[in-house]
Amino acid sequence: MNRSATPYLFLLPYLAIFALFWAWPILDSLLLSFQNTRVYPPVWAPSLNWSRLLRDAAFWDALRNTVLILVVQVPLMLALATALAVALNSQLLRARGFFRFAFFAPVVVGAVAYSAVFRLLFNPNGAVNNALGLEFNWLFHPTGAMAVIIITLTWRWTGYNAIILLAGLQSIPKELYEAAEIDGASPWQQFWKITVPSLRPVLLFCLVLSIIGTLQLFTEPWLITNGGPGTATTTLGVYLYRQGFQNINFGYASTIAYAITLLALVFSLIQLRLFGRES
Amino acid sequence: MKRLAVLGAALAFTLASAQQLQGNPNLRGEITVWSWNIAAKALEANIPGFNKLFPNVKVTVLDIGNQATYDRGLAGCAAGGADLPDVYSVENNEAEVFWARFPNCFTDLNTLQPAASTLRNLFPAFKWTELTVGNRIYAIPWDSGPVVMFYRRDIYSQSGVNPATIRTWDDFIAAGRRIAQATNNRVKMGVIANGQDDEWFRMLANQNGCFYFNNQGTAITVNQPGCVTALETVKKLIDAGIVLQGGWNEQIQAFKAGQIATSMFGAWYEGTIRSNAPEQSGKWGIYPVPASREGGVRAANLGGSALAIPASSRNKEAAWAFVRYALATTEGQVTMLKEYGLVPSLLAATRDPYVAQPQPYWGNQRIWQVILGTLGNVPAARGTQFFQEARAIMVKTQADYVAGRFPNAKAALDAAAQQIAQATGLPIAR
Repeated sequence: MNRSATPYLFLLPYLAIFALFWAWPILDSLLLSFQNTRVYPPVWAPSLNWSRLLRDAAFWDALRNTVLILVVQVPLMLALATALAVALNSQLLRARGFFRFAFFAPVVVGAVAYSAVFRLLFNPNGAVNNALGLEFNWLFHPTGAMAVIIITLTWRWTGYNAIILLAGLQSIPKELYEAAEIDGASPWQQFWKITVPSLRPVLLFCLVLSIIGTLQLFTEPWLITNGGPGTATTTLGVYLYRQGFQNINFGYASTIAYAITLLALVFSLIQLRLFGRES
Repeated sequence: MKRLAVLGAALAFTLASAQQLQGNPNLRGEITVWSWNIAAKALEANIPGFNKLFPNVKVTVLDIGNQATYDRGLAGCAAGGADLPDVYSVENNEAEVFWARFPNCFTDLNTLQPAASTLRNLFPAFKWTELTVGNRIYAIPWDSGPVVMFYRRDIYSQSGVNPATIRTWDDFIAAGRRIAQATNNRVKMGVIANGQDDEWFRMLANQNGCFYFNNQGTAITVNQPGCVTALETVKKLIDAGIVLQGGWNEQIQAFKAGQIATSMFGAWYEGTIRSNAPEQSGKWGIYPVPASREGGVRAANLGGSALAIPASSRNKEAAWAFVRYALATTEGQVTMLKEYGLVPSLLAATRDPYVAQPQPYWGNQRIWQVILGTLGNVPAARGTQFFQEARAIMVKTQADYVAGRFPNAKAALDAAAQQIAQATGLPIAR
């Protein structure tokens, strides 16, 4: 056997799987986005889905909700995670191992389980209203429902990001802080001048993961609010699922999928522009 | 010619009474049935009777939830018939998308023995519209959902409200205010799903002879006068503060806790109340839906389902026997009515002596006579293959209108009609 063929043969199983389960669906969904799939069998209709996307109020609602979560929840969560990481890294904290585990623990819980629990917590007669003495119907109020989604996401992912940031913190040389202390820098100054700049690549990593996660967000809004009330918590992921699997309109669902991909591309380019140069 | 008519009538009569199913101990196999909530329990209640005739067919009914049944069914069809049961429950309104997009996913029941066409005359004609395409019969009608008001006799009388005087929706709101006053605002007149569903809108629109689409399924009619009135009434009820907002589970919690004195739903909700609140036996009654104006229609329909057999089933013969036993025999249908309050669409079952019996849970009211009595006045409505898309748009439109984002109901529904047109490609009717 030709020796130069060997590496390709080793690659072959992967390439075959890649072609079958990645390349082909990606291409096929591109083709689907140019077809009218509301009829059987589907017919070619190049502008139908894409022109609908631009005029579809429900799509823009979903986009607005997703962007809202992006600009409110992601910064909130990363700020909390950074604060948490610094606290978990502090020499003053006792039982650090326990706290690290405790804040990471939500990651272990299945999405369906904690979604059901949050639904119960925010029930009109649920624990949250009882504790606060409120009679607010969270899940049936547009802002309330969005708040529940944001609280749930923050609960789920803050500890996860904090652990990643903690690893980043531990790789910052101690000498930097010692030198700063000798120069008379306050802890606050140390945080902003040493910790934050050194953490920047790790923060960027967390940011990229969170943005991609938010663009694909489906489970929590689907299970807690079912995208409602109205379309108040319908994310792009939920809207795509509805079009694809409830309305069986794979053409339009593919169009939405490609719109999400284009958005991810735009966000990635912006991030590269803003943060990517030095690192 | 006259003689032919007599012969036809005689034939129809023999067909209509030919509901005795021939048992067959040689028929073997295991079948799985997908359904939801009360409907699943009702089918389960038919297994013993079925097994007397077919002792060697093992039936398993899975309650996988209403929305999940629909979602998994479509996903299964999209995957070429993978992971589907032998008997599949589908709501009439939601059924057409299956036959339109996946014409080969379900068995044409005319190809089985005996052909489904022999059952045609056993059911009212309107029940078949959404279940047939040309000569193909994809599913057999199961129940229907004539809408009535379920009410708490004790709370009404303590508040000095006589249900017989509630003739219009304005009367209903006035009654709601009285009950609120008498109970320190603790008891409301129902649970409206606002933002998660538009059931109240659909029930009220249907009562006014209006629906998302016309009955040919060729045009959008959601912005016509009957629907405008319906949407206005929904907002009036919410603005008056006499209803709670919530979904299926919230409504069950509310009536169990005595937070609502009324529930409006298809009559299949009878079993849900009875089985969830046995301790309230004797305290409940029913009355017909209030009309939109004095002398208007006091009947509507919500829901009503059918059973189909996926083409991928390996036990079609056994599945067909079960479907025929449960739906096309008086015994099967009356069992489901008795146990779980499913309103039969089998004509012979609606004439069963059981229907005329007073019901102890309902304060000895002859509720099935009242309920079945409204069936003839229910205006027809057709879900079409675009039901779910139109519903999603309408849920949002209702929530926005209730929140005051439109100047009036007509403007809200004009906007909804535009969006439905865009989503479906159908024209808006003039």
